[in-house]
Amino acid sequence: MKLTIKRLIAFSFILATALHFSFAHAGEGVFGWIYTLDLQPKGKLEFEQRLQLNQQQASGTYEAWTARSELEYGLTNDLQIAGYINSYYTNANQNYTNPEACGDEPTCTGGYAVPSSHDPATPYRKSGIEGGSLEAIYRLTNPVTSPVGVGFYLEPTWGRNKDELEARLLLQSNFIDDRLILAGNVVVANERLKFIENGNVPESMLDFLVGASYRFAPKWSAGVEARFHNDYSELNLRNQVQRASFVGPNMHYAAKDWWVTGAWRYQLAGGNCMGGGEAECSDARVWDSHTVNEFIVKVGFPLN
Amino acid sequence: MNWQPHPFAVLGLAMMSAPVIAHAKIYVSIEQVQNIFFPKQSLTKTPIVITEDLQEKMRVASSIRHPFQGNHIWKTTNGGWLIVDEVVGKHEMITYAVGIAPNGSILGIEILEYVESYGYEVAEAQWRAQFIGKSAKDPIKLNQDIQNIGGATLSCKHITDGVKRVSVLYDLALKEK
Repeated sequence: MKLTIKRLIAFSFILATALHFSFAHAGEGVFGWIYTLDLQPKGKLEFEQRLQLNQQQASGTYEAWTARSELEYGLTNDLQIAGYINSYYTNANQNYTNPEACGDEPTCTGGYAVPSSHDPATPYRKSGIEGGSLEAIYRLTNPVTSPVGVGFYLEPTWGRNKDELEARLLLQSNFIDDRLILAGNVVVANERLKFIENGNVPESMLDFLVGASYRFAPKWSAGVEARFHNDYSELNLRNQVQRASFVGPNMHYAAKDWWVTGAWRYQLAGGNCMGGGEAECSDARVWDSHTVNEFIVKVGFPLN
Repeated sequence: MNWQPHPFAVLGLAMMSAPVIAHAKIYVSIEQVQNIFFPKQSLTKTPIVITEDLQEKMRVASSIRHPFQGNHIWKTTNGGWLIVDEVVGKHEMITYAVGIAPNGSILGIEILEYVESYGYEVAEAQWRAQFIGKSAKDPIKLNQDIQNIGGATLSCKHITDGVKRVSVLYDLALKEK
């Protein structure tokens, strides 16, 4: 069966809503993209469904949907493991304007997941199962009982468009009866892109994520989060090619039996490209896999 | 962007935003707590005004920001006290009661209402027994004289801090009444 965006959305929401009425709640992510140190207790299993839309580049249409279905399990109270199945839908059409990418044409089709072999004058649409990821998070100190919570995160991903090894340093401090959460992630990733050139193009990434979330009423939290992104054309953070910043709000609701988080990140003007990656930039913003807007919805249900 | 929400997405969002009836796990009623701590004694409701100064002293001692309400306090005929308080839980408030003997030592604590899905181990007798006999001069601090329960850390911490502030309340405002 071909995976279309309608099926992707339908699958995500039907799965989420079915589980909504089937299971009883858990630890959760109050941010859209920042990982916290709120882990599954020992022996607890949680299902999480994420749906992300990266939308709008320099012109035309660019929509990159990513769905991630995840199972999280607490091996100990401080060690959580998880597995993901990832799927995607890319819809790009005349979304680039940079002359280095488009030549003499005012616009062309490009961006993340669009193969080098694709005719840039024509639209590109493709969907499918991207692959899978594994994840482990170890909590060294708990922000509930320590001034600063510290944790480590490792996530290998195997995918149709890229393989990736991502590591994070997780930092979190809680205030005001643990209702105010300040969190930060330092993200380092090595990637091998498979959809361009010879199918084995190395890249690396260094991101700083910071955010705040405040539980302003029982069950409800809201906050803001920002991403400072750096891309490099080689492994191990050598030869920087991109720099971009994103910021936006998040909202979180948690009942006893389920939770949901929605967030939006907006790419600020002021990003730039360098070191041979100039074709990926225009209008003071970075494109490639990035867009003007990023939206995410996550829902979680404990299974035991 | 030409955004046309898919019917399944609309249905899913509607279903998710529908209220879920979370059945509160009420462990013990106030009447039951009275019988546990002060059997065969009559209790008189004795609300007190929590001044800003007292509130601040309780906050400093316990680190709890959520204000204490002074209208759920009872005094027994023999000079004991029953105090009901609430602290912040993971998603909702946790309501608990503290019984204090005429000499100021804690008779015990009871969890009245707990609606979180995890961390309900704080209602187990073994964990609550750690508070028995303590008073305002004890640290009453998690991971010092009160042991934590892994996976229930937030609830353990907030209830422990809550008991601390109740003991300070007794010491500063109830002892002389």
